[in-house]
Amino acid sequence: MPFNPLQEKGIPLEEQIRNWRELNVEPFDPDTVHPYTRCRVITMNGIEMESILFSHNFARHTNDTELRRQLALSRYVESQQQRVVNWLLPGWSSVLETTIAYEQVATDLTSWVARNEPDPYLRQAYEFGVLEDFDHLYRYSNLYEMIEHRKAEKIVDELTEVMPGRPTKVEHRHPFDNVRENYDKEAAAPISKLHQLTITAAEQQTLNFYANVGPQYMEPIARQLYQEIALIEEEHVTHYESLLDGDQTWLEQLLLHEYNECYLYYSFMEQEVDPKIKRVWETHLAMEIGQLQAAADLLRRYEDRDPAELLPAEVPNVLLFEPNKQFLRDLLATQMDLTTLGTGYVREQHERFVKMQERLHGGEQPPSERVVAVHEERFGGDYRSEQEGPHPVEAFRQHAEARA
Amino acid sequence: MTATAKRTMPYGVMPAADVVDLLLQQHGRIRDLMTEVMGGSGDQRRAAFRQLVRLLSVHEAAEEEVVHPVARRHAAAGDSIVADRLQEEHDAKELLEQLDGMDPDAPDFLPLFLRLRDAVITHAVSEQRYEFNNLRHKASPAELAGMRLLVQAAEKVAPTHPHAGVESATANIVIGTPTAIIDRARDAIRAARERLPRSGG
Repeated sequence: MPFNPLQEKGIPLEEQIRNWRELNVEPFDPDTVHPYTRCRVITMNGIEMESILFSHNFARHTNDTELRRQLALSRYVESQQQRVVNWLLPGWSSVLETTIAYEQVATDLTSWVARNEPDPYLRQAYEFGVLEDFDHLYRYSNLYEMIEHRKAEKIVDELTEVMPGRPTKVEHRHPFDNVRENYDKEAAAPISKLHQLTITAAEQQTLNFYANVGPQYMEPIARQLYQEIALIEEEHVTHYESLLDGDQTWLEQLLLHEYNECYLYYSFMEQEVDPKIKRVWETHLAMEIGQLQAAADLLRRYEDRDPAELLPAEVPNVLLFEPNKQFLRDLLATQMDLTTLGTGYVREQHERFVKMQERLHGGEQPPSERVVAVHEERFGGDYRSEQEGPHPVEAFRQHAEARA
Repeated sequence: MTATAKRTMPYGVMPAADVVDLLLQQHGRIRDLMTEVMGGSGDQRRAAFRQLVRLLSVHEAAEEEVVHPVARRHAAAGDSIVADRLQEEHDAKELLEQLDGMDPDAPDFLPLFLRLRDAVITHAVSEQRYEFNNLRHKASPAELAGMRLLVQAAEKVAPTHPHAGVESATANIVIGTPTAIIDRARDAIRAARERLPRSGG
């Protein structure tokens, strides 16, 4: 029987509130955890944060007390879910280690979504964005070796390569050029709507994380690099959120959020290798089914609509964390020099782009360039982890001395 | 608050590597060696464990002789922070002595080793958060540079990152228990301190 969360038996919302003992989860071991288990934890934290923030915003757009109460209940249990998921992260890890894992998430999650997105315009948006996350992984990895004296491959293993993507320096575009065209709610496939939600949530969490933890560093180069990359994350959230059809009602969007959480917990439960964390995904899936059904009831009651018409008949193919090395190498070979103009993509350095670059950089090298320059000076080369051969673009290959 | 507490680095200037960089490097290496010991067996585990014993011993001598005295002098809550770290070091040293006398493939080695790992990494993370940050902020660049020289002197006693093939060369062999290595590292630090100009650590 295909899995359809609308038809499954979930836990009723009232029974979902947990006590301290249940909230007190044991963190994973950062040096033995499977890197993709850590990626799943980071992803679901972003998804839960999105559900909480969306629900708060919804509550600020209605005066209906009963509706606000229903949102408050659902949001409270989602807050507990977020506390459980994010508290799986260990206190042993430094902020920068977690940051590198965030970029591994962005790289492999966005790659998978791009590979599985049926709509060519949406697919292009993910292909465009992922080359920038990939470059952030490279910049932060250089910072990591420089200030914490450890190599990023200890965190990402050899599942994700580390090398330059589209240089962070040229990712700074005029804000107008970060706004894409939205999908059409009537025409878009349900899976496209889910992809858009997932990636927007992950990027929003990354933006908030960098903007908050960046100043915890004392090293000037670290503070500056976080400041710069957090600005790119602002661009990414703008880019991905503009793909959404904003004419969908709040309740329709709530339903999609809940369905997406079911889909992701289901996906991660299917592939999880850590038995304790797998149990968290199972429990949360059962909870999400209850939350989805509560949202479906609200849609029937307030809008007299059938939720089944807005959702897929059965859950889509599971979303997988897996290596995307060849996919990324193909993108590097073909899309490194793309930028945006209006809602489309171009290769030229158009006027608005050039002006923005001049204004922001002010004739100096940005932190993302300097972090690599200082690394080269100190270590005789930049930090990379290339398993499938040299960089696909000749101009970005490492100098022979640095490889030695 | 000292006068140096508020110093800022102009945009584009990168501070030189100091004693904290060296200690962080050792922390990273300790963590990785521990993963090697946990994952390996037989000769591989034995070799990783020997390296770990040397590195931990040298590292602890350096912290006790060089880092904690300066941290104590500079930190507002220095005494209690340093006291917590000393207790952690004492506990870890006892575990290390116990493990040092065991066969790494014996069934009770790994459970005890996991306790050591837990103690050492928690200790290292606490140092990074509560001690090093403060040290870097309050100690002068000359002081930090002097301290770096002392830690390097300790490293010479028991090379902790041997090049392949030189592992058995006489110069690299330090025979003895962790306590013996710590003593020798401490002597080397004291001798090096004599040679330092007065402004150093």
